[in-house]
Amino acid sequence: MTDASFLIGLADATVSASTVLILAGLGELISERAGILNLGVEGMILVGALSGVVATVMTGSYWIGFAVGSICGLLTATIHAFLCISLKADQAISGIMLTLLGTGVTTYFGQQWASAQFTGFPDRTLPVIGGLLVEIPLLGPTVFEGPATDFVALGLVVAVWWLLTRTNLGLEMISVGEDPETADTMGIDVFRMRYLAVLIGGLLAGAAGAHLSLAFNGIWTNNIAAGQGWIAVALVIFARWRPGRLLFGAYLFGLFNSLRLRSQSLDLALGPESPLAGLLNPVIEFLLNPAIMSMYPYIVTLVVLVATIVLRRDDDSAQPAALVQAYSREAD
Amino acid sequence: MWMSYIQPPVTVMTDDLLRMESIVKTFPGVIANDHVDLTVRRGEIHGLLGENGAGKSTLMKVLYGMYAPDEGTIRFDGEPLRLDRPQDAIDAGIGMVHQHFKLIPRLSVTENIVLGSREPAAPFRQENLGDGLLATLRSSDPVQAVASRFSLGLDRPQRRISDLADQYGFDVDVSAPVRELDVGQRQRVEILKALYRDVDLLILDEPTAVLTPVEAERLFETLERLVDDGLSVILITHKLKEVKSVTDRVTVLREGEDIGTVETATVDRSELARMMVGRDVLFEIDKPDTTVGEPVLEATGVSAIDDRGVDKLSSVDVRVDAGEIVGIAGVSGNGQKQLAETVAGVRDPTAGTIEISGQGLADASPEEFVAQGVSFVPEDRHEHGCAGDLSVMHNAVMKDFRDEQFGDSVLFDYGSVGDFASELVDDFDVRGVSDVTTNCAKDLSGGNLQKLILARELARDPDLLVANQPTRGIDVGAIEFVRERLLEQRNRGTGVLLFSEDLDELFDLSDRLLVIYEGEIVLRTTPEETTREQVSVEMNGGGEAQVSVADADPADTATRRAADGGRSDQ
Repeated sequence: MTDASFLIGLADATVSASTVLILAGLGELISERAGILNLGVEGMILVGALSGVVATVMTGSYWIGFAVGSICGLLTATIHAFLCISLKADQAISGIMLTLLGTGVTTYFGQQWASAQFTGFPDRTLPVIGGLLVEIPLLGPTVFEGPATDFVALGLVVAVWWLLTRTNLGLEMISVGEDPETADTMGIDVFRMRYLAVLIGGLLAGAAGAHLSLAFNGIWTNNIAAGQGWIAVALVIFARWRPGRLLFGAYLFGLFNSLRLRSQSLDLALGPESPLAGLLNPVIEFLLNPAIMSMYPYIVTLVVLVATIVLRRDDDSAQPAALVQAYSREAD
Repeated sequence: MWMSYIQPPVTVMTDDLLRMESIVKTFPGVIANDHVDLTVRRGEIHGLLGENGAGKSTLMKVLYGMYAPDEGTIRFDGEPLRLDRPQDAIDAGIGMVHQHFKLIPRLSVTENIVLGSREPAAPFRQENLGDGLLATLRSSDPVQAVASRFSLGLDRPQRRISDLADQYGFDVDVSAPVRELDVGQRQRVEILKALYRDVDLLILDEPTAVLTPVEAERLFETLERLVDDGLSVILITHKLKEVKSVTDRVTVLREGEDIGTVETATVDRSELARMMVGRDVLFEIDKPDTTVGEPVLEATGVSAIDDRGVDKLSSVDVRVDAGEIVGIAGVSGNGQKQLAETVAGVRDPTAGTIEISGQGLADASPEEFVAQGVSFVPEDRHEHGCAGDLSVMHNAVMKDFRDEQFGDSVLFDYGSVGDFASELVDDFDVRGVSDVTTNCAKDLSGGNLQKLILARELARDPDLLVANQPTRGIDVGAIEFVRERLLEQRNRGTGVLLFSEDLDELFDLSDRLLVIYEGEIVLRTTPEETTREQVSVEMNGGGEAQVSVADADPADTATRRAADGGRSDQ
């Protein structure tokens, strides 16, 4: 039965680990659909994580902490929005600056909070039907029991999908990401729409950070994001800018992550009696090395990028046509 | 809808829908509009005529709220109109069909059309509210504000767009994504976009630049119907033929200045041309006889595919001799692009051989074609003819930068490169260039960019010039210039392969004429032997039986080859 409990533990960890990717990924997806690449996800997650801890310790409420963390992520994104939309600065440079800024600021101010004790999000089930859902074998305890932020993230997948495909606002956001000049001629305020998208992106990245410190880790540590912001950026590409696929990708990347954390207990090496043991065991050991496993999300993203280009399936799900393009009305 | 039609008694009723007075718009270093007046009457098609870069598009962007004018007033429907953004123009009842379509390929026709008009979903529409408490709640401002943002009702707009499309005979699938539509259909979507917004004035910016003659004819029929329904239309163009055939009045701009407005019926084509260009324009071309030399291009059995892998050329034979212009006529998309690119060396043929001045080059790199004396004027001058973000200077030496006069093998001699570029700009009358090192190629207007490309290609004194649609979309002054240069080059012994959709151009310039249809040469003749009608029929694939007409003249080797080729294909 160790295998079964390992699987349940793995599934549970996967679902937990994916929430931060779902939240941050959805935010980046919205921002990119409106044409603004934000490579500052990592920085915004860190800011959200630390400010969430600070607010929770000070108020004693993890919900207030979550809200403050989200809003601080939004405020961080405002810098990016101002630089890239109003000043038309280079989006890649501004985003990387944001990540470095977030890392530096949270490392400096985070020292005194590293040992802070607080009550984070407890595991819970959904109201009313939760009790029944948890009884489902394997799936029940893994998906339907967890911190409230897990459910928030799942709800947001549907909400973002709805926003982008079923609302006027979504249509307008997509239009400024596809062709801002056309959107402008249709009477859409391109700047306002792009600001909105980038700020929502920051809000969700901040929420991802607050989830990380308040629900997933239950503690603030330096560089708590540990590259998950970058994985979220890769995830958006992997998902071909679609919320549904983003959910799938987040689980896949979350699985890589929890496998990596459990790689010590993963013993897939062939027994000495196997004729191929000498040949394959070093390969298996290499593939299960935590450092190597941490690259899997990026490798999969590269494979997806190559596959979409080779298979020419690019036309219906490809990246927003005006991604990374600044817009100004009189410069054409 | 947005404006009261009940005029106050003091206002004198006028036939003028739009009055733009004394509009000035400057860009750094350029006066794009210099005190321009434009008055459009109700229910007329008003032409706005001018060369590329004369300021037509700028004036219309001012009228559409995209550019803020430096000076001048706009009155629409008798009232002063202040335009800070396109939405103001839309609200006033002005619609615009831009030269480069403003459509988002990913979205459907309906989505493109309703974009920005914030149609709420069905339960929140005024007429669906009914009575009762729930209705009061749903009609309250906050709920309506939320509904207009967080819901989307495409069903009713889709019905209305379908109705409009039916009314004007547009064959457009309103639920299809725009990327699946062809150019003509996309333009009809643009018109629907304006009609959907109940415009009073429709601006069309060079609408026929991208259309085939048949589609253009259809567009004009549509415009007539729109005007019959009470709309006013501004037609921006540089094509005199269009001005004469559809407009009621025409305003002419030249280098940003207002040359005047005339009733179209009172002027003839050459007068319009003079107003537009500022001098007499020759419509006749003097073509001296020359003696042809050795073949510079011999393409045999050439087949090629397009970017999607579809067969576009099947076993085509083309020969061009030194000192002749061989014209290729055909409806767009019948393999001209592939033939041009293959013989110019930028596309690999899937079969066949290409000899340039006797040298076999079928699998050679573009560089070897260039070295062998092949020059190429591609169809899409922005995409393939230049590097838009590089300076005019860089673009001018793009093919010959390795030449000794521009430096040694390591370093460029920018002094001589700049001098060379300036010389080309002067020689070819490329306008809009104040400094060859800082002006980017993409900022040149179409005609001027084409002159620059032609200058680059001809300065090398090539053995073979492949020119694909060299005069498409450029103004009469530039057309005249390009044609003269092509002839001049022919007289100097260059073999020219000229692809064009303009039959007048082909008949005026060509020594020999080939017609391409579905990737095959279906007729080989000369302008003297054939008629525009016959070529037109062949271009549309209607002349299989008439190959024998060409067969009847065995003296012409080209014709003989055509007849042979025709037989062996069957």
